[in-house]
Amino acid sequence: MSVSGQKPLSNAWQNWWRFSRNPTAVVGAIIVITSVTLALLAPYVTPFPEHVGAVVDFANRHQAPSAVHWFGTDNVGRDIFSRAIFGLRVSLLLAVVVLGLAIPVGVVLGLLAGYFGGWVEIVIMRVTDIALAIPPLVMALAVAAVLTPSLTNSMLAIALLWWTWHTRLIYSITRQLRSQEFVEAAETLGASRAHILFREILPNCVSAIAVKTSLDAGFVILIGAALSFLGLGIQPPTPDLGTMVASGASFLPDYWWESVLPGCAILFVAMGFNLLGDGLRDLFDVEDVR
Amino acid sequence: MAVAALGFGGATGSMALAQNVVTMNTVQIFGTIDPAKISDYTDYMAAVNLYDSLLTVDSGGNLIPQLAESWTVSADASEVVFTLRADATFSDGTPVTAADVVYSFERLLRINQGPANLFAGVVESGNVVATDDRTVTFTLSKTFAPFMATVPALMIVNSAVVEANLGTDDGQTWLAANVAGSGAYLLESWDRGSRMVIKRNPDYYGEMPDNPIDEVRWIVTNDEATVRALAASGELTMSSQFQSPDTYAALVDMGRFRMVSEPTATAFYLKLNSQLAPTDDVHIRRAIAYATDFDTIREVIFPGEAMSTPLPEAFAAFHNDDIEGPRYDMARAAEEVAMSAYAGQPIPLTLGYVAGTLFEEEISLLMQSNLEQLGFVITQQPDPWNRVTEIAASPETTPNVNQIFFGPTYPSPDSMFFTQYHSDAAGTWASMEWLQDPAVDDLIDAARATGDVDEQAAIYKDIQAILMDQMVSVPLLAQTVQHAMDNCLDGFAAVPMQSFDYDFARYSWSC
Amino acid sequence: MEFLAFLLRRLGWSLLVLLGLSVVIFTIARVVPGDPARMALGPTASADQVASLQESLGLNDPMFQQYATFLHGLARGDLGRSLLTEQSVTADIAKTFPATLELVICTILLAFALGVPLGVAAARWKDRWPDNLVRALAIGSAVMPTFFLALLLQILAGYVLNVLPTTGRLPGGIDFDAGWTGLVLVDSLIAGRGDVFLEAVRHLFLPTIALAAATMGQIARITRASMIDVSRQDYIEAARAFGVPDRLRMFKYMLRPAFVPPLTITGLEFASLIGNAFVVELIFSWPGMASYGIRAIVQKDLNAIMGVVMVSGVFFVVVNLMIDLLVGVVDPRVRIRGSRA
Repeated sequence: MSVSGQKPLSNAWQNWWRFSRNPTAVVGAIIVITSVTLALLAPYVTPFPEHVGAVVDFANRHQAPSAVHWFGTDNVGRDIFSRAIFGLRVSLLLAVVVLGLAIPVGVVLGLLAGYFGGWVEIVIMRVTDIALAIPPLVMALAVAAVLTPSLTNSMLAIALLWWTWHTRLIYSITRQLRSQEFVEAAETLGASRAHILFREILPNCVSAIAVKTSLDAGFVILIGAALSFLGLGIQPPTPDLGTMVASGASFLPDYWWESVLPGCAILFVAMGFNLLGDGLRDLFDVEDVR
Repeated sequence: MAVAALGFGGATGSMALAQNVVTMNTVQIFGTIDPAKISDYTDYMAAVNLYDSLLTVDSGGNLIPQLAESWTVSADASEVVFTLRADATFSDGTPVTAADVVYSFERLLRINQGPANLFAGVVESGNVVATDDRTVTFTLSKTFAPFMATVPALMIVNSAVVEANLGTDDGQTWLAANVAGSGAYLLESWDRGSRMVIKRNPDYYGEMPDNPIDEVRWIVTNDEATVRALAASGELTMSSQFQSPDTYAALVDMGRFRMVSEPTATAFYLKLNSQLAPTDDVHIRRAIAYATDFDTIREVIFPGEAMSTPLPEAFAAFHNDDIEGPRYDMARAAEEVAMSAYAGQPIPLTLGYVAGTLFEEEISLLMQSNLEQLGFVITQQPDPWNRVTEIAASPETTPNVNQIFFGPTYPSPDSMFFTQYHSDAAGTWASMEWLQDPAVDDLIDAARATGDVDEQAAIYKDIQAILMDQMVSVPLLAQTVQHAMDNCLDGFAAVPMQSFDYDFARYSWSC
Repeated sequence: MEFLAFLLRRLGWSLLVLLGLSVVIFTIARVVPGDPARMALGPTASADQVASLQESLGLNDPMFQQYATFLHGLARGDLGRSLLTEQSVTADIAKTFPATLELVICTILLAFALGVPLGVAAARWKDRWPDNLVRALAIGSAVMPTFFLALLLQILAGYVLNVLPTTGRLPGGIDFDAGWTGLVLVDSLIAGRGDVFLEAVRHLFLPTIALAAATMGQIARITRASMIDVSRQDYIEAARAFGVPDRLRMFKYMLRPAFVPPLTITGLEFASLIGNAFVVELIFSWPGMASYGIRAIVQKDLNAIMGVVMVSGVFFVVVNLMIDLLVGVVDPRVRIRGSRA
């Protein structure tokens, strides 16, 4: 864990150099950038962008992968490759929203618990422990089923539990930092608590948060895919990778591409975030972030 | 772990079976086996094997004796006297008496679930009377033509056994897991959610075919891959009727299976909510009917027989043959849209279907692609089945278009018309049209009040004409029930009442 | 004495977590829009049929009273009655839980049996091919969606090779229910039914692999890291300097302390393992608690949902308690620190 204060500017170049020497991180970054670009430009880069909607072509259903349809076609004759690229959008959106909700909440609670200690720490960390005792997928299933199944509710359900991991991480870092010289110095100089929390301690958590975020993005995408595989995803005809795997599974093993190839797409994007996170972890030398 | 040894362990198929065992997959779990609570297709499938009724139904829709050997109906149809078979016994060997019939009926009304609504307002509590051990009289509160057709839904419980296990809830807890009946089969084991096994009662009082089925195992799975795996391992002898065409083909390719298919009285509709914009406009409803690609649905997506009115042709005597069925015509659809109050603007429309049902999703997509060409703005609304039953409770939450299967719950056209179109039956998944038309109500009541079959037929034909003119239900197809069946298994014949066709006392093994 | 205090502290703490869990679960289950009574009765039920069931289920009582009833029942092991099965939820879960337990135990055993040796090998031959293999495995298993792996295994073993059963716990021809432990592997051995045991192993094979992959990858990764960590410690360096043979050094002095992080990660991973069990049980038609839970969720069977989530939570807490104690035994320093957090 790097806990030094400000870093000189030249470190950026050093970091970049070290980053580019790390094959895992580079491959991860390339996959992530490719996925995000493909998802953003989906209408322009896919061969059949209209297949994202209600297009049916029963004459061309269940076509095997070919030069025209790289991933084959599904049970109503739509191009699976185009739909998988659009499906990336849903997966990435899920990751952005869940982490966008969970990280701020988790980080602030972690800072408070770690810095103030006492009953603040007790309350926050006990609630965290309770939340950690519920398997996220089970919770998400229960919430999504209890409300109407939809993408929004799935995201809500996942976010509801996800902040706990960030709370724990930031809590343990903050506890170590609390007794560091630069924090004590700031306290002696009469800096406000907000200043200490957000200006002194938080910047030192950034590298850990970055690593965690990248790893998390992969896991959130996996959980989201599992939920939509179980039928709690976005409504058709909007393509969603988990749903595609589930409906394709009805046609195994004859039309294997309908489930296997969208499954590979999930694997691909999850792998990208994981490799990137792994690479960043080596780079920042934050060993204990999982 | 000895991996090599595992390869030799696959002795599943080689186990010698002296008995005739049918293994069938079913796509839904058995909800209950209590005859006072059974409501859906799967519930009835177990119940008809475990319990007997006074009467049962054959594949022609005719009532045939079961526990009752004979019955007489009074001239004004207000009183029915049943005479029980002298040799009828429950599975514990005690005789089935008229008192058991009375007990079963009163228990049904007390619990007030399942088939109770068939008798509500028709036979009051206290009006089923045992005259002697073998004679029981039903006195009707009003003339109700379909009454006899509902009698098979009243399954007879062994009153002594239920009394002995009464608990605080009329024996509901006990009968949820145990059987006190006189059926041809006994409950062997029931692992809710995965399987149910029933065994033949060797002391069954009734007639059984030669070489009868000794044991039936239902495996609950709706997964096509699982069904194929079960068939490949030699375990499966009969598929459910809800497999995909690919699975049927794969099973037939195995050589051991043949396809049996029969037309049924179960209809598949697009039910159009007539109280919600824009389907409150008859022109919009007609436009939707014209925008329906019937051939693709019937030939590619879900095989079935064409239907020209909301009444399946299985009810031949009551079917209005003069009506020309709906057809696919996009030009006419556009004309109808133009005539509607919503012409010239984007028209929002929700398409509801049962989530996770692949063919319904395909139909919904097909509808969407056609309707979007007409200027509709489509929202797909897949809901799990239990949610469908909820949203059907009010016209505001019922989607504009709903894909619904409906089959007769008793072998009478009344079951099709009353349950779907009468105002008194509103608020269920079967009546998502929200028709609420006093003229139609009167006609249905009139048919119920007459014992004259010709008069009934004339009334039912009028109703069909009104329904097709209003186009509240687009009749997509009459379901063809299909099963992949082991070449050795015989006896399947579709019955126009619930799942009475899976009474395995009618099946036999021919190998 | 010191160990007892540690034990009591951990126990009290676990109870508090469970109490909090019950509040969370109850809150979620009771904000359900929609009417469980209507759903239980089916579509043809009339309005007064629905109303009378609502009354008898206590759905009309005030919330806090419903929670008090729930908690009171919970204390007696009573989770209420399932709307769907008409049986007590406790009985339903008791019937389905052993299948899940059997799957989970086999999963953890397999994950350890493969993960630890892989991790040790990777540390032993650091930066050589076993190390690279383990790293690839660790990343691959972490990013592989469990449902996708389960499907791939099903295709491969069930269709392509056609060697292993892909559904259920035992073949349909075998009705084996000894009812002692509920674990078919154990019961069949007690009953001396070799055939049943073999079939049970065959059926366990695919679901166990599908479920174990993710945990195994993590265990291998952590074992490798902690072995490397320990090998840098002074006392190991000293042992090396004294000429203690490689193998002895590895197993006697390094493996034991290096065993703590894999144990810890198993505890943390356990929540996601239970979650994944839902997917795996569904795909392999495994008749366990998770299959029961999925059905309850689809049918909005409130008591059953609460029961399944509660039991999943209890399972998690108990396993973590056991792991804490185990870690306390393996690594005495933990007892003094009090917690492994």
